[in-house]
Amino acid sequence: MTLSRGAIVDHLKNMVGPERVITDEQVLKENSHDRYKKFETIFGVYTNPIPAAVVKLADTKQVSDVLKFLNGNKINAVARTGGTATEGGLETIVENSVVLDGSQMNQILKIDPTNMLATAQCGVNLGELEDRLREQGYTAGHSPQSKPLAHMGGLVATRSIGQFSTLYGAIEDMVIGLEAVFPNGQITRIKNVPRRSCGPDIRHVIIGNEGALCYITEVTVKIYKYYPENNQFMAWALDNMKTGFEILREVMVAGYRPSVARLYDVEDGAQHSFDQFAEDKCVLMFMAEGNERIARATAEGIVEIVGKYDECRSIDSKIIENWFNHLNWGPEKITEERELIRKNLHIGFTTEVSGNWDCINTIYENSLKRIRADFPHIDDLTMLGGHSSHSYQTGTNLYFVYAYDVVDCKPEEEINKYHIPLNALVVEETLKAGGSMVHHHGIGKYRTPWTKEEHGSAYYILKGLKDQFDPNGIMNTGTIYPVEK
Amino acid sequence: MKIAVCFKTIADYGRLSDNDWVWDERHFVDTSFVRRVFNCFEESALEMALKLSGTSKNGSDTAELTALTVDDRRGDLFLKHLIAVGYHHAVRIQCNKRIDLRFNSLAVSDLISTYIQREGHHLVFLGTQGGNGDNGQTGFLVAERLGWPCIREVTAVVTAGSSERLKVTSRINGAILVQTVQLPVVLIAGHCLDSPYLRIPTLKQKLKAKKNQVTILSNIELGLDNDSLVNNGKTLIDLQRPPVNRPCVFLEGKNARDQAKRLYDEYLKKVFT
Repeated sequence: MTLSRGAIVDHLKNMVGPERVITDEQVLKENSHDRYKKFETIFGVYTNPIPAAVVKLADTKQVSDVLKFLNGNKINAVARTGGTATEGGLETIVENSVVLDGSQMNQILKIDPTNMLATAQCGVNLGELEDRLREQGYTAGHSPQSKPLAHMGGLVATRSIGQFSTLYGAIEDMVIGLEAVFPNGQITRIKNVPRRSCGPDIRHVIIGNEGALCYITEVTVKIYKYYPENNQFMAWALDNMKTGFEILREVMVAGYRPSVARLYDVEDGAQHSFDQFAEDKCVLMFMAEGNERIARATAEGIVEIVGKYDECRSIDSKIIENWFNHLNWGPEKITEERELIRKNLHIGFTTEVSGNWDCINTIYENSLKRIRADFPHIDDLTMLGGHSSHSYQTGTNLYFVYAYDVVDCKPEEEINKYHIPLNALVVEETLKAGGSMVHHHGIGKYRTPWTKEEHGSAYYILKGLKDQFDPNGIMNTGTIYPVEK
Repeated sequence: MKIAVCFKTIADYGRLSDNDWVWDERHFVDTSFVRRVFNCFEESALEMALKLSGTSKNGSDTAELTALTVDDRRGDLFLKHLIAVGYHHAVRIQCNKRIDLRFNSLAVSDLISTYIQREGHHLVFLGTQGGNGDNGQTGFLVAERLGWPCIREVTAVVTAGSSERLKVTSRINGAILVQTVQLPVVLIAGHCLDSPYLRIPTLKQKLKAKKNQVTILSNIELGLDNDSLVNNGKTLIDLQRPPVNRPCVFLEGKNARDQAKRLYDEYLKKVFT
């Protein structure tokens, strides 16, 4: 028998205490969204079903108890920590969902300099962890723009990546061990060892599950020595993205690992004010860091490679250093963005994809061409461009960036008129060219129409995980896995 | 109606660290590596003028808008932005490099008022003060030189019945003042939470604007020689960076409710009651 909204709330209060079960209407509304629907949120419009409650979880035992209850009663559970998701993964699309808020599980449990490990609960803010590490001369090496706001649980759940990924890797390269709770209440711990050959790497069942398989309660990540004094910035202006991709490839294939390797097109660069220093040019930038000898060798190697390209003109490295030091999004930038959106009815989004070196420029050119040709409201666009910000031996990512005036439509119509179709055009062109439709935001709820196409025959494995670990389908319905009608 | 909005661009000082505040023998802080932004008061003035002119994205205009700045070539990008959002004319007055305009409102107001008289504008709109000199004088001096009335701390402006009369809203000492004025007039945009952001041009508007050129005038072309602009009766002796630390009190309490109560009782109550 389906439990009523009131009965769900009563049961939850009995399990975790009434003070941990939030039913304030405004809180519930805000927990029905993430940043995908930021336009609606700013105008106070909430069209998703409002969750029955937000549960402020205290510990792993409570996570287990609550999940077991929800699973037994087939109630949809949406895991949430910092709330900085951008792809609708935190939206509550099922009536009477329960939001499992882990933000109060916020203890840094251990910093272990001998084994170079840090263990944190899911609700630990990455910025706070990084501050604690830096006090001791270490860094997590993970620095997404959301660092001031994002929490460890959400970062691992979405396979997040940071601005220094080309050196330190993405979150999946950093996570050594985990604790997670599955919907039947089973608590699992994956131990912290440097490497092992004991069957498939089961960390990857949990990392990136977006709350669709289990709830991450604790994370252990690698830490690194922090050498900010050795940071070296380098930047060049160039005429086209194709050359930039070639240089990025050459740097990576040569074995250099700058922490930052970024390539901006003219439009995207302009919104970062690069046009003030290199008008109508693309901008290529690197940062070398780490141990002094390695940082120096990396910088010298990159300068040598770029020097072979006559098209490139050097830019004052202080410009890039200054810009980079102000790239993160804290509460003040979010507030400023909200004001701009509210006053000017103007908003911007991104779609991040990836591709091997042999198709990345095709993805870049075809996606932009397709939007210019097929997007019916192109006249409302104020910005359309992109950049690459995470490179690998085999390829790189692309961040398509678009902004538009919201014209003649209600707040709740904005995503259907603009965001969803723009997102779709990029995804379609990326898959057509052989790339991946999501690089690091997670699939969320708006790229699920292409989940099967993305994985092809390997969808069998992905589907198997859902069948095995969440047979009742209560874990974040509509995220990663398309809702079968 | 011919409207001139005078603006300046400044370095984004929020992006300078403590170590960046170093000046040369002429007391110039090197900000060459920091992006420039519209001075916030003039950003509001620029948008208010666009709204007043009726310039909309469908291109229907009811006034002639000129964006005017006194700057070096770095100002051109901003002028191009303004052409794209609907300004009909973009004018940059280039002064001799040896003239330090930071604390020289007399010179700036001379340049502006001379240009306004030459072009026969009816309305001059500017910001209350710039982020680099903080003089807060230019608007008043422009009004004095032109012999026009002046309204400060303007937060909104609309036409009042005819294109020669304006209804101007301003905020003075916490009060909202609405006045109907006859042109010509100088309006000085002030700070207000509801100050508008300057609109962002569409891709199509940016493309179209590329065909338009920025007009560049020298102070000599305006009939103002270098010596008359340099001599403002002031000599810059030294610079000091004011301390940026604000007094801080940590509110302690048993829990958030207790802390919030203390915050209200001890601080906010005095403000709100």
